[in-house]
Amino acid sequence: MGCTVRIASPLRSYTAGAASMPARGETLAEVLAHIEQHCPGIRFRMIDEQDRIRPHLRLFVNTSEALELSAAVRDGDTVHIICALSGG
Amino acid sequence: MSPSSRERERYQRHLTLAEIGAAGQHKLGEARVLVVGAGGLGSPAALYLAAAGCGTLGLVDGDRVELSNLQRQVLFATADVGRAKAEAGRERLAALNPDIRVVAHALELRAANVRELFAQYDIVLDGTDRLAARYLINDACVILRRPLVSAAIHRFEGQLMTYVPGRGPCYRCAFPQGAAAPVGNCAEAGVLGVLPGVLGTLQATEAIKLITGAGEPLIGRLITYDALEMRFGDFRISRRRDCAVCGDAPTITEPRDTPAPAVAAPAGLQRLSVTQLRDLLAQGEREPPLLVDVREVEEFSAGHLADAVNIPLGELAQRLAEIASDRQPIFICRSGGRSLAACQLALAARIAAPVNLEGGMRAWAAEVDPTIEVL
Repeated sequence: MGCTVRIASPLRSYTAGAASMPARGETLAEVLAHIEQHCPGIRFRMIDEQDRIRPHLRLFVNTSEALELSAAVRDGDTVHIICALSGG
Repeated sequence: MSPSSRERERYQRHLTLAEIGAAGQHKLGEARVLVVGAGGLGSPAALYLAAAGCGTLGLVDGDRVELSNLQRQVLFATADVGRAKAEAGRERLAALNPDIRVVAHALELRAANVRELFAQYDIVLDGTDRLAARYLINDACVILRRPLVSAAIHRFEGQLMTYVPGRGPCYRCAFPQGAAAPVGNCAEAGVLGVLPGVLGTLQATEAIKLITGAGEPLIGRLITYDALEMRFGDFRISRRRDCAVCGDAPTITEPRDTPAPAVAAPAGLQRLSVTQLRDLLAQGEREPPLLVDVREVEEFSAGHLADAVNIPLGELAQRLAEIASDRQPIFICRSGGRSLAACQLALAARIAAPVNLEGGMRAWAAEVDPTIEVL
């Protein structure tokens, strides 16, 4: 079954414009690794070399904020990637 | 204070609302609101605040009206093209509601002027299009204890949050730092014209609620809006005890300008100015440099450097194989943000020493070839 990942607008160039995509994984790390397989380069825009969530991003599993990549993800969950926007 | 007959007629629909009424309308008339950025967001926000009878309305913008603004910046008319936005906006707002005071601040907000400016107002609305300005405005609002209604947009998506001193997280709690690779402003990324209409109107709504006390302000929540899917998101944001400006031990105690770019270039990346590139191309090397233009196809088609290849940033990760590993790529975009992201991708793919063209095609047009069209 897996989860759904909702992609922030600035990252949709990696998903061919898709606003969401299905993914598999029991943790946020596994979910991001899964979407990286299909969208090369997207993980680097979200996670730094020390496996920290970049400070211009917030990641939520459903409505709970995920502060670590070890955050649990369950079947049917929605992972939200929210990116600081700057346009006005 | 009871409203005059003229005010009763103008604001009759507000006066009918128990949540606003005569007392709320009086508060609106006494309110002083500063709209920073007379653009896509600032236009509807300022128009609705003027219509609502916000007594003093300040408009900060150092730019002039361009034809490409009119697709979304509804504060301006075609005849305003070339005029200072702050002044053209002041005229439009004063025409809409001559009973309020509209103040034009035709300047760019800086750390040097933010204190004096914000001191004249009770509430600040952020409708700017640069992250550096967003952090300056947020920090100044925290330090000067001014409520802030912040919104931002990108392509088909927007976000909104409200900060009230002492009552919840600030913008820096939500996003401690800007992106290393800029996400692109409206000029670079495009934007649906009506999108800032939605978000700017929500900003005005929040400002009116803060002034009148009606309802619950959007404190500690980030609202997201996706126009394509017609979907709103509502996410809890907590105050960070380690926030650099509103945390328990703040390190930012005075408004400051953020140098752009905000983040240092990664190791291994080289920078090239447009004049350096001009000189390099003029040398006529047997093997010219590999110019990779990472703008969108439409931007590339309007005008590009001779022999440049076009690989839009969103396709680059899948098309890195097109860049020969023995040639040093020079990445180019509109103003240097997307090309920096391209350099990072190339570095992650172990392409040696990618080069970023600083300032991009805008700098090329300004300093080398003014005949080239840059969208």
